[in-house]
Amino acid sequence: MAEERFYELIFICRPDTPEADIDKVLSTLQQTIEEQQGRVEKVEKWGVKKLAYRIGKSREGFFVFLAIYGRQGEMIKELERRLKVSEPVLKYMTVRIDEELKRQRKLSARRERRLARRPHKTAGEAAAAAG
Amino acid sequence: MTTTPQGPQHTGHAPHGSGPRSGGDRPRKPRRQYVRKRKVCRFCVDKVDYIDYKNADLLATFILDRGKVIPRRITGTCARHQRWLKVAIKRARNIALLPFAAGA
Repeated sequence: MAEERFYELIFICRPDTPEADIDKVLSTLQQTIEEQQGRVEKVEKWGVKKLAYRIGKSREGFFVFLAIYGRQGEMIKELERRLKVSEPVLKYMTVRIDEELKRQRKLSARRERRLARRPHKTAGEAAAAAG
Repeated sequence: MTTTPQGPQHTGHAPHGSGPRSGGDRPRKPRRQYVRKRKVCRFCVDKVDYIDYKNADLLATFILDRGKVIPRRITGTCARHQRWLKVAIKRARNIALLPFAAGA
């Protein structure tokens, strides 16, 4: 099976959607994720925010954010299909960010190593770092 | 950059400007003598390793009111961080956190 990937998914609902309907959308997504052996890391409801541009007739939207681990690309396909057919959803976006986070960790680690090395520059430690 | 061996107060008709100076005979405009402040990449200063597309307030400082990305020659962002910034701005636009170029 493929290695685990990390995604962030945001979807925007109509601002006048009752909270129950949003929860319904959310639970169908969570169900799909479970079926596809993914797991939800985090769910955040950002609430009604102003949109930077109009979508349909709306100038505002209810933002919901999910952070998801997944193993199959099929999962994302299915999630997006469900979002597309669900009536209150205005727009959605999924981004895969595990590789960027990996890069971030790498760079941060390198920076820390460098910082740790600089203040004390004894020969013994340099050798230890090399070996 | 531009070196002025004659010192700062060099006007065109200076009497002690002995000898042919290197450039033309035009008097140098004093306006060109100030040293432009060197711009540094804000992300490098803050040691940023990942630019989050969700941080719309930060990204908004790097676009114009019209929605266009401000070139790095103006903001001073380094190439690498501008590249990350570009991706983040595009994502933020997609999810209506930032406007597309058309603007108000």
